[in-house]
Amino acid sequence: MNIVVLAKQVPDPEALIEISRTGEKLDIEQKFTTSLFDEFALEEALRVRERLGGKIKVITLGTGRAVEVLRTAIAMGVDEVLLLEHEAFLNGDGYATALALSRAIVKEACDMVLCGKQAVDDDRGEVGPMVAQFLGMPHVGSIVKLDIADNKAVAESLGDEGRMVVEVPLPAVFTAHKGLNEPRVPLVTGVMKAMRAQIPRATPEDLGLKPGEIGLAGSKVRIRRYLAPKKRSQVRLIDGDAQAAAIEAVRILMDVERVI
Amino acid sequence: MEAVLIFVETKGDEIKKASLEVLSEGTRLAQTGRFAIEAALLGPAAPDIVRTIASYADAVVHIVDPLLDTYTPEGYALALADYARTRSPRIILAGATQMARDFLPRAAVLLACGIASDVTAARWLEDPITVVKPVYGGKVLTEVSCDGSPFIVLTRPNTFDITSPAQKTGEVVERRADLPAGSVKKRLLKKEEKPKGKVELAEADAIVSGGRGLKAAENFAILEELAGVIGGAVGATRSVVDAKWRDQGDQVGKSGKTVSPKLYIAAGISGAIHHIMGMDTSKTILAINKDPNALIFNYATYGIVGDLFEVIPAMTAELKKRLGASREASGR
Amino acid sequence: MEFALTEEQEFFKKMITETVDRMVGPKAKGIDETDEFPWELWREFGKLGYLGLRYPEDLGGMNADPVTAMIFYEQIARGSVGFAQSVIMNILMGTYFIYRFGSDAIKARCLYPAMRGEKIGTMCFTEDQSGSDLSATRTMAVQEGDEWVLNGTKMWITNGPIADMATVLATTDPKLGAKGLNFFLVEKGTPGFSAGQVLDKLGCRGTVTGELVFDNVRVPRENLLGEEVNKGIDYLGEILDEVRAMTGAMALGIAQAAFDEGLEYARKRVAFGKTIGSYQLIRAKFAEMATEMEASRLMVYYSAWRIKEKLSSRKEAAMAKMLATETCLKVVDEVTRIWGANGFAREYDPQRHFRDARFLLYGGGTHEIIKDFLGRMIIGKS
Repeated sequence: MNIVVLAKQVPDPEALIEISRTGEKLDIEQKFTTSLFDEFALEEALRVRERLGGKIKVITLGTGRAVEVLRTAIAMGVDEVLLLEHEAFLNGDGYATALALSRAIVKEACDMVLCGKQAVDDDRGEVGPMVAQFLGMPHVGSIVKLDIADNKAVAESLGDEGRMVVEVPLPAVFTAHKGLNEPRVPLVTGVMKAMRAQIPRATPEDLGLKPGEIGLAGSKVRIRRYLAPKKRSQVRLIDGDAQAAAIEAVRILMDVERVI
Repeated sequence: MEAVLIFVETKGDEIKKASLEVLSEGTRLAQTGRFAIEAALLGPAAPDIVRTIASYADAVVHIVDPLLDTYTPEGYALALADYARTRSPRIILAGATQMARDFLPRAAVLLACGIASDVTAARWLEDPITVVKPVYGGKVLTEVSCDGSPFIVLTRPNTFDITSPAQKTGEVVERRADLPAGSVKKRLLKKEEKPKGKVELAEADAIVSGGRGLKAAENFAILEELAGVIGGAVGATRSVVDAKWRDQGDQVGKSGKTVSPKLYIAAGISGAIHHIMGMDTSKTILAINKDPNALIFNYATYGIVGDLFEVIPAMTAELKKRLGASREASGR
Repeated sequence: MEFALTEEQEFFKKMITETVDRMVGPKAKGIDETDEFPWELWREFGKLGYLGLRYPEDLGGMNADPVTAMIFYEQIARGSVGFAQSVIMNILMGTYFIYRFGSDAIKARCLYPAMRGEKIGTMCFTEDQSGSDLSATRTMAVQEGDEWVLNGTKMWITNGPIADMATVLATTDPKLGAKGLNFFLVEKGTPGFSAGQVLDKLGCRGTVTGELVFDNVRVPRENLLGEEVNKGIDYLGEILDEVRAMTGAMALGIAQAAFDEGLEYARKRVAFGKTIGSYQLIRAKFAEMATEMEASRLMVYYSAWRIKEKLSSRKEAAMAKMLATETCLKVVDEVTRIWGANGFAREYDPQRHFRDARFLLYGGGTHEIIKDFLGRMIIGKS
């Protein structure tokens, strides 16, 4: 079973973010982590390999400390990693990013692609389905359970309306939701291996891509400006004992705010 | 005149609320005189529904195919993209439901076009069209624009107001998708719906959420009762889901669902930042907590410092009284 | 001068930080409240392999240098001091002399299982009437033929009551003072070796600290951990500096844990219409705390670097321990002030850091002793 995992490095959820005065850029505290849903994807890949054998390759697109995502994956025990770090890859929208990642996947040698259902910085959720479309594979989104047998997968996805269980032949793409598994903690031997590992990188040229096709240049949508969300004014406390406050709350919600 | 193609999602014999919202927005777009609205429906649909949709749009296309009988992202993307190519719309609009976010990115690849998947505001008349999309869990808003065509826009539920139909009688056309055999390889094995009558969290107008202050799983019953009276959904915090008192699907927060209802009642919730990020765009937030210093009060519109086990049932009783009375008054 | 961690060390720091946050941090409050040794966590953590941190790879260890080890000590203490004390005792003091001087049979019985977390080790110095003054050690070791006979009581022994093996400091002749000291290995089950009173501590709760009793305990000759008799004080010198730097690293970890709590509170807590972090006095507190923590950090890692480079480090390690401890005590105090009344509530963490920090005053040497010998080193004997 040849498994590819797509993992992204994102700022730590607690990192401070400041919007520049003109709104043209963001100043983000330099604390990073692997995107939460990608961790579930990586863990699932490890479990599938434990059950069925095979190899796991993890691909990350990013620069700076993004290499740590791959070292972490090595510490967990994956077989291969690849970093797409070249400037031309960066700052792409879902389309340009998915294009680059799909080219980095050797289709012939891939039975399954796993990634998080959305990155917790951009909150787009587009790359998984887009990579599937670029590769001409079916995909199942937001999975909370995955069983593989006879080159077929039975996946359970969690939706707005409940759960759906689908059967799909491999190769296919799966995007991971919370509840799929509990990510493991790496052993020190894995950490040691990861500390010393050499991380291979690929350029756009290596993937047969022209700089204009990917990254910011190849994007179909553009971020024009960053804004702060509207600030809420201070809370209005409702006085009185439980009974009185409850009645007043209902009055406010029904007659003043008109939300009931 | 530019074409707007609106994807309409149905569930059984109902049009999803998120789709009614975008259809209403379509009506408003039509009123500007600059856009012609066409609604697209995929897969089986009752004639009643098709007629209702037709009252919002200038035209309705109902795309059918055996391979569309059950939803698959591959099939829907292929069918919609094929059709869009024949119509060259400027905008493809849909409510950002799980389904839309699942298949429309695939359509964007097929059409090699731009997509914005979780939009909370749109400026259609600008050139280029600009939409607002929250990132970093809502800590920052981005203004995103698309120069090319079409621009696929998925709007978060509760972004647009629902209006009554424009009394159009849009022309309904049925069309076969003619999807190639083998283009859809998936089989649906089982569908487990949420218990009937349960309002979907992502689309609910009102949500009553509980945290650790509820103390035990069975105490959520008082929240369910309140939610039932106001026709809302019941949400939960991460700690409550981790404790297995509530289902993962009920979680409101960064690793759960992001919601934006008109009314959010937070009972026994401390206000940890990852929860806040999932609900702080709600229109009106009422927080009930014993602790006057609970962080949730920094994000709420209204607050009651008190025992939720007294306040919630008292609110339910008062609401039953008032809503019951108004029901009588309107002769229902 | 190179002031940065290597890329490898940065990555190790990330991994251990995440591991601690995931496995240890969430259990810290419970460990403190129940004051029970977290057996399950110990077993799970043992499986990860960090307990072999300082020993060679071919023995199943990580062969971490002192600087990398400091990263570990700091993070584990940040997670839970109650757990960290037991872990660190097993990683360093409780196993070092076994690693250094134990026979193959002893290593197989004691060291390797300890590295896997299957056995718990401890080192015993302190006695009822001797802490700083090792020359006042009263636990006696008398050679009888092929055996040593040990008699005495040890107190304040981390892991003592639950230890499978103890490295015991005993004297062959009290009149020799420090020059009569030796290390002996005593294993659980040896007749005469028993655990006594378990201490109810203000902080570091979860770690089992207590009394060990040696009543005519007979051990074979090979259990003398050392090449020569009465060289114990010299052997101790091999790890003394690391133990002091390590204490400094633990102080950094506790300070960081408290500091992070203070930071979150300052950012979110609202008073008089603004977050309290907007006020100058609060800002000043953070400026001071951060400065002193940064200085302490540099001192701790610098002394670890000197140990790694085999440069003299007695002065630097002692300074690091002292500075980091005093900083930590200030930080845990300031954070409870920043938290106001909430700093007094057992429900929240600042009070736990406040209590935990106190052990730093005697662990690794009291500051009174340190100041005395540092002053003497600097001025010279008169």
